[in-house]
Amino acid sequence: MIAHALPCRSFRDLVIHLRPAALGLLLAAAPLGAQRTHLLLVTGLGGEPQYSDAFVKQGTQLYDVARTQWRVADSSLTWLAEDPAKDARRIAGRASRESVGAAFVALSRRVGPGDLVVVVLIGHGSGEGPASRVNLPGADPTAAEYAAWISGFARQTVVFVVGASASGDFAGVLKGPGRVVVTATRTAFERNESLFAGEFVRGLASSEADADKDGRTTVMESFAFAVREVAKGYETQRRMLTEHAVVSDSVLAARTVYAAAASSGDPRVVALVAERKALEEELEKLRSRKAAMPEADYERELERLLVAIAEKSAAIRAVGGRP
Amino acid sequence: MSGAMDASATGAMRTVALGMRLLTMVALIGIATAATNAVAGAQSAPDRTASDRTARVERAELALRRGDRALAERDAAALVAEYERRAGTWTARDHVAAGRAYLIVSSGDANAVRNALRAFDSGTAADSTFDEAALRASDLLLEKFVAPDATQGYESVLRRHPKNAWALLGTARVMEFTGKGDALAKAREAIAADARLAPAHLFIATLHLEAERNDSAQAAARRALAIDPEALDAWAVIGAVAWIAGDSAAFRAALVQAERVAAKPAAFYVTLSEAAARQRRYADAERFAARALELDPLSVPALGALGTNRLRTGDIAAGRAQIERAFAIDPFNLWHKNTLDLLDVLAGFRTVRMGRFEFVTSAREAEILLPYLSPLLEEAYEKLSARYDFRPQVPVRLEIYPRSADFSVRTVGLTGLGALGVSFGHLLAIDAPSARDPGTFNWGSTSWHELAHTFTLGLSDNRVPRWFSEGASVLEERRARAGWGALASPAYLAALKTGALRPVSQLNDGFVRPRTPAEVGLSYYHASLVCEMLEAEFGPKALGDMLRAWRDGLTNAEVFRRALKLDEAALDERFDTWVRARFADAHEADLPAGDADLEPLQREVTRAERAHDDTALVNLLERMIWIWPYDQAVHVKLAEAATRAGIAGKAVRERRAVIALGPSDVLAARVELARALLAAGDRAGARREVLAVLEGAPTYEKAQTLLLELRQPPPGARP
Repeated sequence: MIAHALPCRSFRDLVIHLRPAALGLLLAAAPLGAQRTHLLLVTGLGGEPQYSDAFVKQGTQLYDVARTQWRVADSSLTWLAEDPAKDARRIAGRASRESVGAAFVALSRRVGPGDLVVVVLIGHGSGEGPASRVNLPGADPTAAEYAAWISGFARQTVVFVVGASASGDFAGVLKGPGRVVVTATRTAFERNESLFAGEFVRGLASSEADADKDGRTTVMESFAFAVREVAKGYETQRRMLTEHAVVSDSVLAARTVYAAAASSGDPRVVALVAERKALEEELEKLRSRKAAMPEADYERELERLLVAIAEKSAAIRAVGGRP
Repeated sequence: MSGAMDASATGAMRTVALGMRLLTMVALIGIATAATNAVAGAQSAPDRTASDRTARVERAELALRRGDRALAERDAAALVAEYERRAGTWTARDHVAAGRAYLIVSSGDANAVRNALRAFDSGTAADSTFDEAALRASDLLLEKFVAPDATQGYESVLRRHPKNAWALLGTARVMEFTGKGDALAKAREAIAADARLAPAHLFIATLHLEAERNDSAQAAARRALAIDPEALDAWAVIGAVAWIAGDSAAFRAALVQAERVAAKPAAFYVTLSEAAARQRRYADAERFAARALELDPLSVPALGALGTNRLRTGDIAAGRAQIERAFAIDPFNLWHKNTLDLLDVLAGFRTVRMGRFEFVTSAREAEILLPYLSPLLEEAYEKLSARYDFRPQVPVRLEIYPRSADFSVRTVGLTGLGALGVSFGHLLAIDAPSARDPGTFNWGSTSWHELAHTFTLGLSDNRVPRWFSEGASVLEERRARAGWGALASPAYLAALKTGALRPVSQLNDGFVRPRTPAEVGLSYYHASLVCEMLEAEFGPKALGDMLRAWRDGLTNAEVFRRALKLDEAALDERFDTWVRARFADAHEADLPAGDADLEPLQREVTRAERAHDDTALVNLLERMIWIWPYDQAVHVKLAEAATRAGIAGKAVRERRAVIALGPSDVLAARVELARALLAAGDRAGARREVLAVLEGAPTYEKAQTLLLELRQPPPGARP
């Protein structure tokens, strides 16, 4: 028994000693029970310096969002651009038809079931239907080719964002189960310069797109933010709105977050999060009864629940968790 | 330049109404007797000839002119029926007679108007040398606001007959309508071509009346009467001049003559209504229009005048009803169509009563502008009441238009007005700042300016001359805030130096008949200096005393004598000496920026930021907001500066402004508002705001933190 006890103790000691570092590694590499997010970012030909610069700026911002907010591993983060020399640290290569195809192949080897694959194309669009394209150096891949490339990601959720003019027909070509396709325009005939990509990226980079401020931006939230801000942009410039963005599956878009919440292994945090979750569910029920309740009763109960939720969040932070 | 006090900038547009009536007179002059004779002769002939048809329609027109609409329509309808049965053999003159008959029966019948045009065109087709057909078609097109087509018709006649007086007069009317060209000179050409063209004299009379050259208007009207003693509109001009001068005997005499010409002289009262509106005496204008309508319930000009003036005095529902009726009768009337469109826009606006003011604007503009405008105008009301010892009735209605075209229609019935604001007394209207490009105008000083008119108009019973009211308004702008209001410009200094500015006794001409387009702008500032001098030299009550003197019906010269103890020449000399002394050492380089210039303010803001001078920063940023209130960054900066400077109320206002502007992150903006409310001591407001945020975003950390802070007892509170 004694002999037996030693290894047990040793093991427990090992666990005790190793726990902080091991847990840290575990969280950094793959959050418990969370999806992994992969990003393939392609920025196309600018044509004019102002557009080339804008595409690089948007690419840079999105790349950083993926790294810092979505916690995408470097190996799952690929940016192909018109001119890799513009940002050699971030840009993996030139955005040619071949390199984009190769990037999809490489990505397919890294993904696991349940992962999220985000593909973002930024640039000038052209063509119609399956021949719709975003202009890249050399021959442009068509929407049909992109559809073929993503066909292998059947066990992943794919979010495909085409932030380009005349991109509307991509939606019909790329749509499918487990896919959210976002296009900057409703049709291939909305060919004016598009503001969508800029606002889409800005919303993510500033976290302003996170409408309910829960720290987890959904695809739908980022889409809605961009649509709203694009409209404001046109209004400010007193121009007629000439682009109407589209999302292919709003239900899936509302359920899909770019980065799953990092779960904690700390039982105190787990317990607090569970308690807060229960309060949030209670709040949801209260809100559904709002119209039927006397206003004063509703407000009193609302405040009680919100204070309780805030106190739980504070408690989670106090023990080192992420609320 | 700030706004016009009234719609006089639109003289061209307003005179069209009378001008249009004159169009129908061209062929009537001298025909009254001839028509009667012709018809009498024709009736005895077994075969009705072309001259018979012309005579018949002339008789119908005469009946209409004399106020017997039933007789006119009966005779015209008979001719129309005949035309519709067998027009194929009719001559060009007959077609024209039919067209004229169609116009008589066109009240409420758009097809009749189209048929009239078709008949005139058929006249031209039947005989291309018969100019009257083309001219009547052009007159009709101009009456229906199709000026380019009308011009083509007049020009086609003038190419064949360069001295055709009717075509020259038509061209003059087009010039007046479009505001392009010298309508007066062209009308004089028409008279040179035919001195007995009474409508040309009458047209000139209306131009003079519009420009407040009342003596000239009267003389031109009398020339028209010498040719056509039954020219009702000429008696109307004479009556209007008499009414403006307060000469009741002359007015009664003109009315008697008008009633001699027509038993129901509706047109006489319409002209009076228009003259009264031009004098900014809108209640009188309404009364005259109502009288015209009693005499002729189908008179479109009367309905239009009554409706327009009711809209000006704030009776929107009644005004709309009259305009709708007018439009039903004449669906080609662009003014009325525009006005009805505008009323549809107004129906979508929000009406907000705040203190002494009723604001009417879009929901978005209300959110953004009213937190600034309401306190500003309350302050203006208090200060102006004290200065003029007069309290206008409240509420004062201020309409704010996000589309300049709507503001223009509200003011003059047509788009394209250059002014920024207008005062009808208790009803003010301005462009919203969003209606113009950033840096175009200062909406604070413009609003103050227009409200000042409410005082000068009210105290003088709407009898103040335009130069004085504008001058006082610009002076009040300058007093309202540092940097507001018109200031000396290089152009002003140059005009002063070259003697291009008018003396006080003629200053009104600088507004109503400027020698150059730039003169109006210079006259605003010049008039403000006159008011400034009057206060400086004759005491702070001088302006009010003068307004009361005008209220009592005195002329300008009598006002100067009573209030200033000076005759016109002495006042002119006194002001000239004063203003030259004032600018003796002025240099262009020293002239300050205008009150809508953003760039210098932006530079000063940068300097204040570097100096960490929050008090100065607050002041500068507020000045920027009075020029362009839609820049979120300016509001955020002002909120932060106000917070640092301890001006919590302003910080709250600015945080609300940010939200009204629709920020990208509205929840974050609302949390900032809640913090500002808390800093201002409004814990309940802060709590409401933060709960509203958390209701939709229950895990929002910034809001949660504030909510928990709010649960703590306030500093200094007993446990």
